[in-house]
Amino acid sequence: MTLASASGSVQCPLPHVVADRIQLGHGSGGKLSAALLRDYFLPRFGNPHLARLGDAAVVPVPGDDVAVSTDSFVVSPLEFPGGNIGTLAVHGTLNDLAMMGARPGYLAAAFVLEEGLPFGLLGRVLDAMADAARAAAVPIVTGDTKVVERGKADGLYITTTGIGLLAPDFRPAPDRARPGDAILVSGPIGRHGMAVMGAREGLGYEAEVSSDTANLSPLVERLRAEVGVAVHVLRDPTRGGVASALNEIAVAAGVGVELDERRLPVPGPVAAACDLLGLDPLYVANEGIFVAFVEPAAAGRALRVLREHPLGSNADRIGQVVPQHPGLVVLRTAPGGTRIVDMLPGDQLPRIC
Amino acid sequence: MCLGIPGRVVEIHDDRGLPMGVVDFGGVRREVCLAYVADQVKPGDYAIVHVGFALSLVDRAEAARTFDALRELSQLDELDWLREVADAAAAERPEAS
Amino acid sequence: MKYLTEYRDGTIARGLVARIHQAATRRWCLMEVCGGQTHTIVKQGLGELLDDTVEMIHGPGCPVCVTPLEQIDKALHLAARPEVIFTSFGDMLRVPGSECDLLAVRARGGTVRVVYSPLDALALAQRYPDRQVVFFAVGFETTAPANAMAVWRAHQLGVTNFSILVSHVTVPPAMVALLEAPDNRVQGFLAAGHVCTVMGWTEYEPIAAKYRVPIVVTGFEPLDILEGILMTVRQLEEGRHEVENQYVRSVRREGTPPARDIVQRVFRLVDRKWRGIGEIPMSGLGLREEFADFDAEVRFGLTGMSVEEASECRAGDVLRGRLKPMDCPAFGTRCTPEHPLGSPMVSSEGACAAYYNYGRLRVTAGREG
Repeated sequence: MTLASASGSVQCPLPHVVADRIQLGHGSGGKLSAALLRDYFLPRFGNPHLARLGDAAVVPVPGDDVAVSTDSFVVSPLEFPGGNIGTLAVHGTLNDLAMMGARPGYLAAAFVLEEGLPFGLLGRVLDAMADAARAAAVPIVTGDTKVVERGKADGLYITTTGIGLLAPDFRPAPDRARPGDAILVSGPIGRHGMAVMGAREGLGYEAEVSSDTANLSPLVERLRAEVGVAVHVLRDPTRGGVASALNEIAVAAGVGVELDERRLPVPGPVAAACDLLGLDPLYVANEGIFVAFVEPAAAGRALRVLREHPLGSNADRIGQVVPQHPGLVVLRTAPGGTRIVDMLPGDQLPRIC
Repeated sequence: MCLGIPGRVVEIHDDRGLPMGVVDFGGVRREVCLAYVADQVKPGDYAIVHVGFALSLVDRAEAARTFDALRELSQLDELDWLREVADAAAAERPEAS
Repeated sequence: MKYLTEYRDGTIARGLVARIHQAATRRWCLMEVCGGQTHTIVKQGLGELLDDTVEMIHGPGCPVCVTPLEQIDKALHLAARPEVIFTSFGDMLRVPGSECDLLAVRARGGTVRVVYSPLDALALAQRYPDRQVVFFAVGFETTAPANAMAVWRAHQLGVTNFSILVSHVTVPPAMVALLEAPDNRVQGFLAAGHVCTVMGWTEYEPIAAKYRVPIVVTGFEPLDILEGILMTVRQLEEGRHEVENQYVRSVRREGTPPARDIVQRVFRLVDRKWRGIGEIPMSGLGLREEFADFDAEVRFGLTGMSVEEASECRAGDVLRGRLKPMDCPAFGTRCTPEHPLGSPMVSSEGACAAYYNYGRLRVTAGREG
């Protein structure tokens, strides 16, 4: 078989294997694709469902409602302190399922690979995904790979879809927030965004900040077991940070949110990096924490439960839901003033002013 | 403009004639141009850094002195006492509600 | 962080607020010159805490807000050129030009990169010798030494694919222009602490004397701002009009002479247009003749471009303290942070964006009685 090249010149009839990086041929569905699957994906994700290599995986699903979530991961750079795009791709979808109260059951993963992507990098990404999935006991049961021309993808894009199983009595949802609810955060804020930003060229600083990417399901499972229906809302504040997540919940439930600036857990190096660039930690992305809206009577118990788990050891209460100013998030500042914490129109940008 | 933050000068070196250094901002490190403080700066000094340039060295003695004065100034005890006196006086007036 | 976070102490801040209330026998009208100071006041909700005693008018100390429309349009033109890597501080990316902003140009294929330091832009030029790297050199006297050094260094190292688009302004002429205005209400100033770190405060002494206004060189953290306001209020109560220094940990009377030396070698004073205010003579910086090679306007033939401002934006009146943002007919309706008509709504410390954030709460609370 011939491999047509982008420039259209005459090619040797045998597949020309460039030993160390992805070529367009890897996405063509032929021998190179099969080899890629066999050598790179199957050994890492191996499970009976995937090994059948059907167009779809057939899996047993007990219970009534099923949660489904999908997310695309396009982070740049692909590797950063604390993880890589693969780690995010697995944890991110597991977390989205967990935020709805579901126990993650299965994952699907689709890859868009850019021509020229080094195999070494692909290997590290897939290793991270396999490790994360195995640690969570959630198999990647089906997937897809495509290859696009150099320049059409930032190295690698990953889309993961997850299916989770819901219990009848644990259904946190954004519109369930009620005045009086305590607002808890499970851990320190701002780590992921500042870790990624530090790894980008141009803003180049070195910081003792790693991404907090983590699978939150075990922590959510503890809350379900010990606190149950008193947990009204769970949300992991990814893009847009804690501020955006709280705004979305305030609008969905038609309630006001009050935050106490002094209770926000911001690690020293995150605060320092934010000060350096003029950023507000409330808008910085996180990948390993969640906010929880909990009935006031259960708040103490919920905090205890979170703090008993390594992922929740820095959990704290950061605010409460109020009937006033529905849809708005308001922050009480250290000197006792107030300000609205609005949604930003777009990305938060470093400033010098 | 404005965004300048203090950091500790950790290391000083020369980049083809330009005095440069590594400054530590509470756990975050960055390369900073020390050209404007070159004649005085030594490792361990604190500098005010704006867009990658040290604009001045923090006067640590002055900073300590004025911060203590500030803390003392903001003590509320004297104000609380004044308020108590004022409240007591108001309570004795016939038109007090 | 040392010398920074201790100046955010809430307890000391509340004590200072009480002291300010105690010191004032009437309401005073003050202006903080620098956008970074406005940012702290808004972010910490200080305006509302002081409102009975002090009215803070947010000054034009935001280079984002005062960069003339034609400079933005020149930036957009340059960023759209295929050979150009356009570099800028993040502040400028969402400022609307006549048609769009830098983010829109990036979406259409222009190469726009945010940098933290002008030396990063110079490094990009060295890394991509077949591209033209242009740096948007915006700012007050604080940033001029950094921008001057980038040009000086490019000259020294023989980097020919680097140039800057200059939009520098200086503070004292703007303060004088404000004080000269017949309807000026400002009675005291918090001078910009980092501008004065470079320049010292000697330029403000004749202004304080001539216009009989106290000027206090102030830092940027909540305790700095509150102490600066307290010092200004005390001067006003005592009938004094001097230049005082609150920001002693950073500012000396003579400033940082080596920084000023480079600025003088690379730049010279020029007339500058301030968006929303108009032209103020000798209020800006331009590159000297011998550095004309590094002037992006010369290199790309953009001198002589002039643009008319859309009439609906009332930025000028807002910047001069004549109009409260909430009284502008377009405020919150045709002009919001998502689609701003002018720069005070774009910049996080622009007066209009500031009111949009905390002013809205009072309106809502007012309605709830």
